[in-house]
Amino acid sequence: MTVASPAAPAQPGGFLASARGWIGLYLTQMRISIASQIQYRVSNYFYMIGMIAEPVIYLVVWSTVARQQGGSVGGYSPGEFAAYYIVWTLVRNFNIALTPWAWEERVRGGALSGMLLKPVHPIHLDLAGLAGWKAVVIVLWLPIAAFLSLIFQPTLDLRPIDVVVFLVAIWGAYVLRSMFLWLLGLVTFWTTRVGPVFDIFFVAELLLSGRLVPLTLMPDWTQRLSGALPFQWTFSFPIEALIGRLPPEQLLGGLAMQVLWIAIGAVLVSLAWGKAVRRFSAVGG
Amino acid sequence: MADDRTPLAPRPATFASRRRDPLRPLRLFALFFRVGALNELQYRANFAVQLFQSALALATGLVVLALVFRQTTNLGGWSQPELLAVMGVHILMGGLIRTAIQPNMERLMTDVRQGTLDFLLTKPEDAQVMVSVREFRIWQAVDILIGAIVLAIAVGQLRTGIGLGPALIFAVALLLGAVMIYCFWLLLTTAAFWIVRMDEIHELFEGIYQSGRWPVTIYPGWLRISLTFLVPIAFAVTVPAEALTSRLTVDTLALAAGFAVVLFVATRWFWRFGLRNYNGASA
Amino acid sequence: MPEPTVRVADLRKTFRVPVRESGLAAAARSLFRREHRDVNAVDGVSFAIEPGEIVGFLGPNGAGKTTTLKMLSGLLYPSAGEATVLGHVPSRRDAEFLRRITMVMGNRNQLQWDLPAFDSFDLIRAIYRLDPAVFRQTRDEFVELLDLGDLVHKPVRNLSLGERMKMEFVGALLHRPQVLFLDEPTLGLDVTMQKRIRSFVAEYNRRFGATVLLTSHYMADVQALCRRVIVIHHGRILFDGALADLSTRFDSSKTIGVTLRDGVADLSAYGEVLSTDDDRVVLRVGRLEAPEVTARLLRDLPVADLTIEDPPIEDVIERVFADARDERGTPTEAAVR
Repeated sequence: MTVASPAAPAQPGGFLASARGWIGLYLTQMRISIASQIQYRVSNYFYMIGMIAEPVIYLVVWSTVARQQGGSVGGYSPGEFAAYYIVWTLVRNFNIALTPWAWEERVRGGALSGMLLKPVHPIHLDLAGLAGWKAVVIVLWLPIAAFLSLIFQPTLDLRPIDVVVFLVAIWGAYVLRSMFLWLLGLVTFWTTRVGPVFDIFFVAELLLSGRLVPLTLMPDWTQRLSGALPFQWTFSFPIEALIGRLPPEQLLGGLAMQVLWIAIGAVLVSLAWGKAVRRFSAVGG
Repeated sequence: MADDRTPLAPRPATFASRRRDPLRPLRLFALFFRVGALNELQYRANFAVQLFQSALALATGLVVLALVFRQTTNLGGWSQPELLAVMGVHILMGGLIRTAIQPNMERLMTDVRQGTLDFLLTKPEDAQVMVSVREFRIWQAVDILIGAIVLAIAVGQLRTGIGLGPALIFAVALLLGAVMIYCFWLLLTTAAFWIVRMDEIHELFEGIYQSGRWPVTIYPGWLRISLTFLVPIAFAVTVPAEALTSRLTVDTLALAAGFAVVLFVATRWFWRFGLRNYNGASA
Repeated sequence: MPEPTVRVADLRKTFRVPVRESGLAAAARSLFRREHRDVNAVDGVSFAIEPGEIVGFLGPNGAGKTTTLKMLSGLLYPSAGEATVLGHVPSRRDAEFLRRITMVMGNRNQLQWDLPAFDSFDLIRAIYRLDPAVFRQTRDEFVELLDLGDLVHKPVRNLSLGERMKMEFVGALLHRPQVLFLDEPTLGLDVTMQKRIRSFVAEYNRRFGATVLLTSHYMADVQALCRRVIVIHHGRILFDGALADLSTRFDSSKTIGVTLRDGVADLSAYGEVLSTDDDRVVLRVGRLEAPEVTARLLRDLPVADLTIEDPPIEDVIERVFADARDERGTPTEAAVR
């Protein structure tokens, strides 16, 4: 019986080869996700436009307050509020990660088995899947930013280092938030009443990340609480980096904090995932 | 002998009375309410979830209000209790929209997309009435309750109490606002006859509706106009709030009434136009 | 003598199933303490499978077949016992192990819905780190074997169920796994498609020497592909051996089909009448009596045609389970699914 040899993995080991393999995987998944999502291009743009309502409202409210209080409030002038909330719209888009609600369907619908049979950790495919579209979002965002800038006249003090750090920070924010939302979603393996847990998480995030207001406008105790949590590194940090409010050491320190929190998130994810799979196994999925 | 007082066919009088009864829409509303909404009451889980979410939303809103008033004593001329009143109206109206208006419009969109609208059109009732009153999400009424409570607290904090006159005017303004939002939604949904894919509409609306949390007077000119005549948020929230805070002028009320009438007529016309197109009948 | 590809020793899987009774008192009690019941889906199975074997797992729903396969592919942790596949412990889910196996199940679609299968195949290449040249060759071979042609460029949602299943098969085998776990692979397909899939699996086994573990409701699948079957019931192995031996071991009967020259007659005196239609009567008689009954039939009646056959495998299996349905009454896997 002539037997053809089964395919052994192409890259026979070595760090460089392995790295190429990972990059190849991410690029392929990103490409496929873009191709898949581009079919819904129109409704995606609708969603983006709808998303600017939130920051525009905050912008107007706080600019009004600032003007009434003699030109600035919390260290922000109306122009600086405009800058904050316009950059907000891009950061908000970059923050979009796999919703924890997706896990219910994954567990129930059998997609989980497919994930478990692949030789890569499923989080890679999730990260890569949404990452592709984000690259597209940057392009789609520019006209929106231009339009908003025309109306609200932001004041920006851009240095090259701000832009560089920003471009790194938004990706760091995406990975960071993905880790923690993944972690949150795994709660689904232990209870069906996930609604309240998710809701509380999102409200906490809203208040403590800089999404609702620039963190300087929150009371001191809240700012200290934010410092101990990962939220502000996903939202407030990238925004403040781009609008030029951070000195260089805080810029780099912020990136370091992102790395730290990503590492923490990664450790928690791998611990929780192992437990989740065992749990799934125990109750028969 | 046969009892000739029990006819086999409905009496002609039934048909006649149906056509002449202006309260028919209300009767239908009550009918659907009784059947559908009370059915939902057994799903207590929905209420619990909604109560929780509404409480969180309320808490968030109060936090923002508190943050603003750490920095200033009034926003665009509105004091804190007055802004609280705006928030109350916003929540109340939001509850109304999500209980009675949005479910119907979403069902209409689904019917158009799946072609199941025809079942409705064969019924002897006016189609617009039917598509407007048949669906409820009764657990969203939690927001109506919360909005009313917030309103009551806000009004209590205002130095001037609330007399019967202003209260009535408030009710009228609220009604006019609700009618206008209904018309807006129906106009949009009627467009679904032509542009079938309109899923993101309700998310878009939710985003825009958030602007009503604050009095529209704070928004720059062109935005204010859009939020008044393009998406009637101003009439839905700010105007009733003005009624409660002694700001409402006769002009504004007259404008609200006039615009409501115009919008209603235009909506009715557009609906029938869309329906005729949908039926394939010549215009 | 090469190492067995699959080695299973006293494998067990027990599920804890919450018990929910009706009534207010029980509901109140369940608020404080959840009651559980243990279900032995797999109750101590042992077997070894050599490289290149195609083994069929037979058993009624809930017998434990799918649970066993899931344990061998790493989807479930065993409650007790040992299992090794290709030298790995499946539940550790090493990347090396996962690269060398594949599992095909009815409800698993790993292909992207909106895109042509071609693109999904590319993603599979990236996930399994396949050499691009080898990948292309494998892909083209399989597409040709299953006669898919241009369908690979159509979005998967536009394919029929059969075409989609064939695509899933290609996708499942692109990385040339050495062990295949096939759980009801032909479920819901029409007869032509079933045959297609069967011959594809057979060809893959011939070409690559892969080991195949197959569960199926269709005896035709098992008969076409498997020389060896393992019969599982209530989580235990009832039979492990050649398919041909199955009827000898469990059903010591033969079926005799008699066609008489002049119409039907009552043949109940000769054996158990299974069916009578038109002019053909089918009898079941004991294996040992068959020669004697045949002789009597030929002597007593005007026989136009007479056949002696082993009973159909389906009947054998049915009787195996009917006999083995013991009074233990332990709940089975089906209660858990």
